[in-house]
Amino acid sequence: MKGSQDAVHRRGSAEHAQNMHEVAPLSPLSIVSLRKTYRDPMTLKPFTAVSDVTFELRRGEIFGLLGPNGAGKTTTIKLVLGLARPTSGSVLIDGRDPSDPNARRRLGYLPENPCFYDHLNAAEYLELVGELFGLDPNVRRHRSGGLMERLGLTPHVKKPLRKYSKGMTQRLGLVQALLNEPTLLVLDEPMSGLDPIGRAEVKQILREERSRGVTILLSSHVLAETESICDRVGILQNGRLLEVGAIPDLVRTGVREWEVVVDSVPEETASSLREMGHGLESAGSRTVIRVAEGTALQEVLARLTRLGIFVHAVEPRRETLEEHFVRALRGSQGAAL
Amino acid sequence: MSGTRDRLRGLAPFALAACLWCAASVVDAARGQSPSARTEELLYYPSGLWVRQAALGYETAAADLGWLRCIQYYGEHRMTDNRFDRIGHVTEVVSELDPLFLQPYVFGGFVLGQEMGRPVEGLALLRRGLERNPESWELAFETGFLYFVCFRDHAAAARYFALAGRLPGHPEYVDRFAAFAFQRAGEREMAILLWKRVLATGNKYMQDVARREIRRLGGDTA
Amino acid sequence: MRPVLAIARNTIREALRERVALIAVVFGLAMVLASQVLAPLALGEGKKIVTDFGLAGSSLLATLLAITLGTSLLYKEVERRTIYSVMAKPVRRTEFLVGKFLGLWSTGAALLVVTTLMVLAVLTVAYRDTPWVLAGSLALTLVEIGIVTSFVVFYSSFTTPGLAAFFTLTSIVAGHFAEDLLYFGTHGGTSAFGAATTVAYWVLPHLSVFNARGLVVHGVPVPPERLLFAAAYGLLYMGALLAAASAIFERREFR
Repeated sequence: MKGSQDAVHRRGSAEHAQNMHEVAPLSPLSIVSLRKTYRDPMTLKPFTAVSDVTFELRRGEIFGLLGPNGAGKTTTIKLVLGLARPTSGSVLIDGRDPSDPNARRRLGYLPENPCFYDHLNAAEYLELVGELFGLDPNVRRHRSGGLMERLGLTPHVKKPLRKYSKGMTQRLGLVQALLNEPTLLVLDEPMSGLDPIGRAEVKQILREERSRGVTILLSSHVLAETESICDRVGILQNGRLLEVGAIPDLVRTGVREWEVVVDSVPEETASSLREMGHGLESAGSRTVIRVAEGTALQEVLARLTRLGIFVHAVEPRRETLEEHFVRALRGSQGAAL
Repeated sequence: MSGTRDRLRGLAPFALAACLWCAASVVDAARGQSPSARTEELLYYPSGLWVRQAALGYETAAADLGWLRCIQYYGEHRMTDNRFDRIGHVTEVVSELDPLFLQPYVFGGFVLGQEMGRPVEGLALLRRGLERNPESWELAFETGFLYFVCFRDHAAAARYFALAGRLPGHPEYVDRFAAFAFQRAGEREMAILLWKRVLATGNKYMQDVARREIRRLGGDTA
Repeated sequence: MRPVLAIARNTIREALRERVALIAVVFGLAMVLASQVLAPLALGEGKKIVTDFGLAGSSLLATLLAITLGTSLLYKEVERRTIYSVMAKPVRRTEFLVGKFLGLWSTGAALLVVTTLMVLAVLTVAYRDTPWVLAGSLALTLVEIGIVTSFVVFYSSFTTPGLAAFFTLTSIVAGHFAEDLLYFGTHGGTSAFGAATTVAYWVLPHLSVFNARGLVVHGVPVPPERLLFAAAYGLLYMGALLAAASAIFERREFR
């Protein structure tokens, strides 16, 4: 009897040990039923900025938090950072409450339109940031030198921050966000103030960080930029999370329409194409014919060939994130009505 | 731009202080030249207790301002009507603000007693000073002086001169004054004792004076 | 501790680079020199005039500096959102507040030391006397400025710069009348009034404890036991105010 009981106990222990190994590691950021209500200080009328938001980040992904102005993106970020306290619900950073300083030890944050101490220069500011993180001065010096180089700010390291342009300030913001080699990066409008080259450089940096296993939460208005870099997105409107998912899963994957690029089309043919429901528009010296569906495409191509019109290109067009975003918002507004 | 605004905001208290100082100077300069105008000014000098409260911890500086005003007041009236009606009040205010400040007692006592013919008030001021500064040879000496000159009370004067002679830091002439006063008061033994103290000083001239007075009193100069 | 010191250093840097502190030093020098101009009118009391005006001026300047710099400190951080980047670091709000306080106090203390040294320099050159006894008054004034600074930080943790300055000045003035309040409470009015004035007496800062100018100007040194008592009282009072400020600041949300 005892022998069989021992066997059961050993089997139970083995299963327990296996379960321990199988327990999912802590999410870098977990938000559950998050709610934030403010009260107007004069009228005391309540205003809900964030309502019942739930999502979880996967380690090593780039997650885009999207939404129009006033959707609750910045409030959500403040709740993540502990700058505001939730009315209800929870935020956990690697299993810790954001109010715990240790939760922020491996967190990097870039605020929207960052403003730093303009009585300092960049070197002094990064020295301060390093002290706040408790970094060894040699480590801080080495890292800040590398990051300033990476973001093209080395020539401006001794310049007072009050003389920094918007783009330079944005890039310095990224430097201070990366100084502690974070495992979670929270970026509020990271592309703001950057020219196209700057944006491309930042995107490259974010991809490099992702490849190192850094998890990134970014909020942005610029959907085209978000689409090219995010693994998953969440769409906020009026404080509510409408959708969460990978972009390919959210957007309509099928081809929406075809774009046929030709030099020019005779007016008679153009009118006829329009009557058939296809769109025509000039694109510089060329004309683009928008064909709604696949079967009609063959017909249009055959007709163009008969007319001897040279076809430069035939390209499929899928729904963009922006188009999906607008559709989701309109759908939400319709449902509300 | 906001940095400039912040700097300007930071400068504001100092600019305000500078403006107030300038305004006070202008008002001071614009006041009438007549002595009566200046008298009126000290007429409204507040009581010592009020000023002490209003000084908010800067009593000694306020006392100095009062002292400067007092000297100016005396100087202006010395050159005009020789009337110093407010001197007692001002010196009292100053001594309330800074009880350890000796000069207002001394100056006030002198002006009240010897220039204004109000020795009782002068004596009260000096005695108040002595109560607050029991180790001050100067106040004891000035009290003795007031008794000697104004009240012609040589015995009282002698006692205060002798007190001054027992207090630390007193100069040599204090003993001489005490000896002389005791002599005038008819207290021969005390006078001889004090002249002998003068003999012990290193001043040859004073030693000659002391020997002469001791012989006059019938004492032994050995 | 490192974040506290880093924030304190940053605050001192800000104070010096914003030039308010330097302007205060210039004002202090002007005040000391102006008192030396008045000295000949003092009928032999020139040394006292220079000492009194110098000590009073340095105390007043340090108080003004604490209020000017301190009231805009926290407000500017929140207004310009520089605080967001700092609070997103592993820094407790209390550490941030204490760092700001230490930076402010250090700036005021530096001003006090520099202006007191100026007074000593003028006295040494003009009167061939260096009254080191002034150090006792300096020590007490340093603690007093610490209390003023902690008031500034306390009020700044929940109100605007203008109101914080007003409340701080009111607290300082009320602190000078603390004993009188107790007197009025025990010698007149209802028992409720008496109780209220007694509470006020214990709550208000007894700033007269830190005023030894009336002693040192006459060459009387500050007794060591008074220094110890004043330091202990001052540190306790500062601690209480900072704890209250911290409790308020912990609950504050940044919109």
